Amino acid sequence: MQTVNKLSDEELAEIVRTRDNGAYAELIHRYQKKLLRYATYLINDEDLATDAVQEGFIKAYINLNSFNSKLKFSSWLYRIVHNQAMNLVSRSKSHISTDEVLEMDSGINLEDELIKKEIKNNLHDCLNKMDLLYKVPLTLYFLEEKSYEEISDILRIPTGTVGTRINRAKAMVKKICQKT
Amino acid sequence: MSKNLEKNIMAKVKSGQITMKPRWYFVLGSLLMSFGLIGLSIGAIFLTNLSFFFLRQHGPMGEWRLQLMLDSFPWWIPTLAILGIVAGIFFLKKFDFSYKKNFSLIIATFVAAIVLAAFIIDLTGINDVWFGQGRIKDLNQFNQNDWSGQQSQSKQQGRRARFTY
Repeated sequence: MQTVNKLSDEELAEIVRTRDNGAYAELIHRYQKKLLRYATYLINDEDLATDAVQEGFIKAYINLNSFNSKLKFSSWLYRIVHNQAMNLVSRSKSHISTDEVLEMDSGINLEDELIKKEIKNNLHDCLNKMDLLYKVPLTLYFLEEKSYEEISDILRIPTGTVGTRINRAKAMVKKICQKT
Repeated sequence: MSKNLEKNIMAKVKSGQITMKPRWYFVLGSLLMSFGLIGLSIGAIFLTNLSFFFLRQHGPMGEWRLQLMLDSFPWWIPTLAILGIVAGIFFLKKFDFSYKKNFSLIIATFVAAIVLAAFIIDLTGINDVWFGQGRIKDLNQFNQNDWSGQQSQSKQQGRRARFTY
């Protein structure tokens, strides 16, 4: 188990698909909390988020042979759970659409650390008032601490679009967090 | 909650309730997708080229001849070519590189490549060799008969019109 802990995700995935499927427990252990937190931000329902993550892990296991070990395992896994969560969101339509938020002035530039602090302090109030289009990349960037490249792989959008959405989301955060 | 999640999934894995899809399944899938894209591209080039060929045959013309061309033009060919391009774009979207680049640019390049390839084939005269052979020849003859049939019909109508005038 000691050696399993030291292995990278990609190496573990290789072991799961070629030698020992029991090693999948370690991958679940590494990501379940992060993925649960991420799915809960998206769905706003802990039970549904748990379902999405469980289904995500099952789908990831079934399709593990399609994973390209030259790429990042975490991005691949986040992508699967993201899809599961989005399916649940579109089914329940529980997220709040805030068209009026999109119309506001986005000319204010803030330091990332300040935004991160504000998001963490007023987390739900801030995120729940945002449209999913901006909420998702912001959550991945500030809370899950993913790079633009990883967000691009998870959401399957160009890195330029990731940057644009995050910049717009930052301006929204400034407005929303200051109001709450 | 977290412990249960791990336990539930691992129980399903260990009991064989969930199994991994074999590697060949995904290899076959990507091969079929690649062949599908190549096949659709070739089909679209061929049909676009065929459209150019028929357009070139009729040449630039006056109003009534243009109407005649529009009536006799085999519209199913460009329609199928467009459908092939649309299906090709659908396949392109499935590939991993599609989201890394500007997808509108990828679509524009794909369409331009097909039209350009069809145009070059038309320009070099390779299609004339193709159209002189086998089924393509039959298709060409059928189209020409259709064309000349309509032409003589129009001429007769023209004559009748002149008499009544």
